[in-house]
Amino acid sequence: NPDIVAAQEQTDREIVHGNCWISRASCGQAITVEDGRAIDLTGVDGHPKASGGQGREGTLCSKGVAQLDKTYNPNRIRQPYIRKDGELQSASWEEAIEFAAERLEQFREEHGAEKMLRYQGYPLTDTHDKLFQRIYGAAIQVGRKTTCHGPFSDSWGWMGGYGREWPDWQNSEYIIAWGRNPMECFRGQWEPNGILDARKNNDATLVTIDPRYTKTAQKSDRWLPIEPRTDGALALAMGHVIIEEGLYDEEFVENWTYGFEAYRENVEDKTPEWAEEITDIDAEEIREVAIGFARAAPRAIAFPWTGIAYQGNGFKNAQAIHALNGLVGCIDHEGGTRHYRGPSLSDPHAERGIELPDAHEDADLPDYDDYPYQRHIRNYSHNYVPTMVEKGDIKGYVSNWSLPPKSGNTQEWLRALDEMELVIVVDAFWNAVSKRADVVFPDSSQIEQPFLGSGGDSCYPTRTWVTASNAAIDPLWDTKPAFDIYKELAEEMGYGEYFPWDSEEEYLDEKLDAVDMSFDELAEQSYALVDEYGYQQYREDGFNTETGLFQFDLAPNESYAALADELGVSTAPEWQPVDDDIYGETTDDEYPLLFTDVFVEQISRGHCQALPESVEEYLDRYGRAYDDYEGNYLHINPRDARPRNIQTGDMVRVESRDDAIELPAHVYEGVRPGWIATVNGFGEGSVHPEEAGANTMTLNREHHVEPVSGQVDRNHPVEVTKAGGDGA
Amino acid sequence: MSRQWAFYFDTQKCIGCHACVVSCRVRNDVGTKEAKWRRMEHVGEGSFPDYKETSVSMSCFHCATAPCRQVCPTHAIEKRERDGIVTVDQDKCIGCHYCAYACPFGACQYGDDGLLQKCHLCLGEGAGDGHGKPARQKPEDGGATAACVDNCVTEALKAGPINEILREASEEAANRYSESDVGPALVVEPVTQESHDSIETTDPTG
Repeated sequence: NPDIVAAQEQTDREIVHGNCWISRASCGQAITVEDGRAIDLTGVDGHPKASGGQGREGTLCSKGVAQLDKTYNPNRIRQPYIRKDGELQSASWEEAIEFAAERLEQFREEHGAEKMLRYQGYPLTDTHDKLFQRIYGAAIQVGRKTTCHGPFSDSWGWMGGYGREWPDWQNSEYIIAWGRNPMECFRGQWEPNGILDARKNNDATLVTIDPRYTKTAQKSDRWLPIEPRTDGALALAMGHVIIEEGLYDEEFVENWTYGFEAYRENVEDKTPEWAEEITDIDAEEIREVAIGFARAAPRAIAFPWTGIAYQGNGFKNAQAIHALNGLVGCIDHEGGTRHYRGPSLSDPHAERGIELPDAHEDADLPDYDDYPYQRHIRNYSHNYVPTMVEKGDIKGYVSNWSLPPKSGNTQEWLRALDEMELVIVVDAFWNAVSKRADVVFPDSSQIEQPFLGSGGDSCYPTRTWVTASNAAIDPLWDTKPAFDIYKELAEEMGYGEYFPWDSEEEYLDEKLDAVDMSFDELAEQSYALVDEYGYQQYREDGFNTETGLFQFDLAPNESYAALADELGVSTAPEWQPVDDDIYGETTDDEYPLLFTDVFVEQISRGHCQALPESVEEYLDRYGRAYDDYEGNYLHINPRDARPRNIQTGDMVRVESRDDAIELPAHVYEGVRPGWIATVNGFGEGSVHPEEAGANTMTLNREHHVEPVSGQVDRNHPVEVTKAGGDGA
Repeated sequence: MSRQWAFYFDTQKCIGCHACVVSCRVRNDVGTKEAKWRRMEHVGEGSFPDYKETSVSMSCFHCATAPCRQVCPTHAIEKRERDGIVTVDQDKCIGCHYCAYACPFGACQYGDDGLLQKCHLCLGEGAGDGHGKPARQKPEDGGATAACVDNCVTEALKAGPINEILREASEEAANRYSESDVGPALVVEPVTQESHDSIETTDPTG
């Protein structure tokens, strides 16, 4: 049979597993390898992240399918580099490791290890932190809470004791995607699958609240293009309706919440008519959504992300949104916002009886509690790092796969990196940080190294899971897996005793002792479901808050209460408009448009800008793939473009009170008039080989932070003018 | 008829993510800025706030009466008897681009060598690979799932023998396909929610 022969022609191929790390969702990959080269890939069927569940086809998203474009990218850093006489020079691994170890030792003697900043990246191994924090003593870490989700995860964490709840999509009957775009910016294919399952199986209603017509809006029953940064007003009015209609969950509110009276008082006069004035959403529509949400509850979800977290008044807005989930009792409920759990894995160091020194614990850390706009949190904010460098509190930097100059206060960050005494990075692409580093260790891409992950949010809402893969191919060029880099560096620094494992596989194998699996066994099957756990875990454990209850009112949280007192705001949900003082800048005659940045499916926040396939598809999405330009576009409504004589393809200048950027315009009806946006991560300092496009955070300054969490506020009033071109 | 392979597309399910496009490139080893066998179109209509977008995944639809084949002066394009897939014999192609003018879908694309290359429903893995390949097999019979279908996150895109595709489609989609026996081998679900609901009534999975 010729057909069977055709199929058999390809028997020299094997399918091996990987785990996608492009947006760090760990989707299981099935990779076709031929003669040691990866040639094709798709998702693993039934994988917790890559599929809709048991027996379902596994897939990868467009970013994930671009993995080979990342692995075989000619622009990858191919060998170690060290800075000598002011120049980055290629070096052997031996030289680079020796150089880095010496410089680290010297740094600690001269300045103290606590002046070495660990900037949170996305290492494929936990040995980065073990080496630099616990062994070396770099005590300060700046992380995602101040660049990605602080206002959301802090407010939710203090209210419900769980900072990043995640929806139980597939079981929901009413989903409000609130400043989040889960049909394209998802943590794995299980999310869009779960939402479409909910639509199909539960006839779920999907509502998108976003000034942009996203792919989530496209799939929604309602798109509410809200006046930006007024989400808290909308949420309070919804709370008003739900209480007035008696549609809240009395049992939950009575037995499991704290501060309902304060909340009720604060929403008493917050009618839909009041909110309509502020939000530009029809009062009747507010009523309908509130009632629909409450009637579907507890199988209902109101879920925010960066659309809210990027706002200067984002904390109060996120608090008001979460209050709705508490009001209708959907917390950790089937079809509600889930308190997902992961399995506990073993600590290989503990398994071997090796005690890590915890060198970071006694560090004498600078106090920034009184620093403007960061009155509450003890963690340091991304935007203040340059000041910390100027004050001499930070003098060095280590990170793994991270690019802070695209996350806020760009210009100052670039200067700060130049000023630091020692910068050591593990990365795969040249960018603003690796180009400024003193030591560059070239990391292998994910499919060139072993992987172990666990969770967590997935298509299995009542199961914990683990996923693993061996290296699908050998490390390319002269790169090494991150684990090997940290082990070699530790040995050279005299810490060999803390890394006795011969290989990373052996180290990961010991982590799996707790779930009684071997690494090879798990890698062979890609994933395994581990423990089962129920919904409404609070009924057994209470909420992990000061009162053990879900807290509408954050008065019991002493440090927040002190801050609220100082700011003169209620500890309960309350409407907090932007004010030109501490909650964000307002637009005016001079800067009439509000600019922010957004995500699209094709481009993740990290290294996708270096992947030609991802960039091309992003551009093609807006019909711009055939321009001689590979950067980002400014999306602007015709009502704003026309009076400024701007057409699609024109170069435009976006000027804020502090700075300006230039990029081409894309004029269309899918964005709210008065609001303009682009995709972040492009331009100066980015991983794009030509730094094409505009770095949005050029407009951002130190003081652009949300006052409670210290998170970067990415909303900037601007004016846009035509800078060149006659359209296209 | 039953030997005709066809694509199935449901815009209500499509999330417009472009995974199909990149998968096609990866499987067939066609680089960026090169020929695009599959592409996504996002069709916007209306004014804010009554704006709407529809996402459509496009490729060669292996037309029953393929206009590209009809205009090809060198008979390089074949409408295969055994599975209805339209393939190109690159040894015969002279790169005249007549086919591109004839194709209503923009499916005819050209490599750096100027020769026609297009979707061959993953009969092979590369430009011109489909020509002379044995009949298309379903995955359970040893064939490969087409790359675009393989990575479609939401099962918006499917491919298979037309009789099977029609069985899985809504009545409206099936009827529309049956109206013409010369058109594209594409069964496409209605765009509007109301008509779309009829899919449930003809669900063949039982």
